[in-house]
Amino acid sequence: MPALLAKDTTAQLRKGGSARVATEVPAKFAPGDRVVVRNLNPPGHTRAPRYIRCKTGTIDRDHGVFVFPDTHAHGKGSSPQHVYSVRFAAREVWGNDASPRDAIYIDLWDDYLDPSQE
Amino acid sequence: MSKHRHTEPPSDLVLRVKALESLLLEKGLVDAAALDILIDTYENKVGPRNGAKVVARAWADPAYKTRLLADATTAIAEFGFVGRQGEDMLVVENTPGIHNLTVCTLCSCYPWPVLGLPPVWYKAAPYRSRAVHDPRGVLREFGLELPEDVEIRVWDSTAELRYLVLPERPTGTESFSEDELASLVTRDAMIGVAKATAPDGTAGANT
Repeated sequence: MPALLAKDTTAQLRKGGSARVATEVPAKFAPGDRVVVRNLNPPGHTRAPRYIRCKTGTIDRDHGVFVFPDTHAHGKGSSPQHVYSVRFAAREVWGNDASPRDAIYIDLWDDYLDPSQE
Repeated sequence: MSKHRHTEPPSDLVLRVKALESLLLEKGLVDAAALDILIDTYENKVGPRNGAKVVARAWADPAYKTRLLADATTAIAEFGFVGRQGEDMLVVENTPGIHNLTVCTLCSCYPWPVLGLPPVWYKAAPYRSRAVHDPRGVLREFGLELPEDVEIRVWDSTAELRYLVLPERPTGTESFSEDELASLVTRDAMIGVAKATAPDGTAGANT
């Protein structure tokens, strides 16, 4: 692996490395849809936090298409797909001791989500 | 009696960092001059003053605020604040009825171009676990007690978006210039663990 050289450092920092991709992929969900997070427990990398698994939320907005870290991190391809901001009521996640008003917003990929059957 | 002067050995952490640095340099994996640029960038050039400029403009210029809330990445790039860990930005606006709080429960994701590197507490397990579970308790420990009728929205930035909170403009600052406004905006207010306050201590509407 070649070292990052001083002459390239500032340009590299300014360039960054977005995981957003231009690939056109159909979105599985739309804002307002009710979704449930799959019960995923992979042995490797994932960005689906454990506390949100099996919880039901609402698609708040569609961020566009991004590389899927669960496959990309293991050299199994970029599997580009939509990432959504999903709103979960605090009580759905933590029970009735939580505030009835508060909410958690988490960015989740298509492959983490199923349509809610509620 | 002679007075001995001892040099205390460096702490374990300092020794570990030095050992890592010499290994990386010896193996040719890191260019020492590049390392200096990285450190200088985030110690002296990029930090929360950047974010404060963005917030101050959003307060002073309604058209800019509209652009910022619609496409934060592009609006923030108008200042030249771009790049690593700010590739895809979202700005969330505090209002009298809504308070936003940001966290990364999985690691320490943070919007570097506008806030610099995260404070130690932001990366620590207690903040990361409690911000989602007990946001009102966490805010209370930061000195911010929010009324029950204010909705708290916690943004867990576990994916590719990075978040900046747009605090409420403090009351009594109508005559302030953009620079004066920027001086009221703290790092903590842009993470969401504090409010922006006027020099006399007054904040936005929901305090």
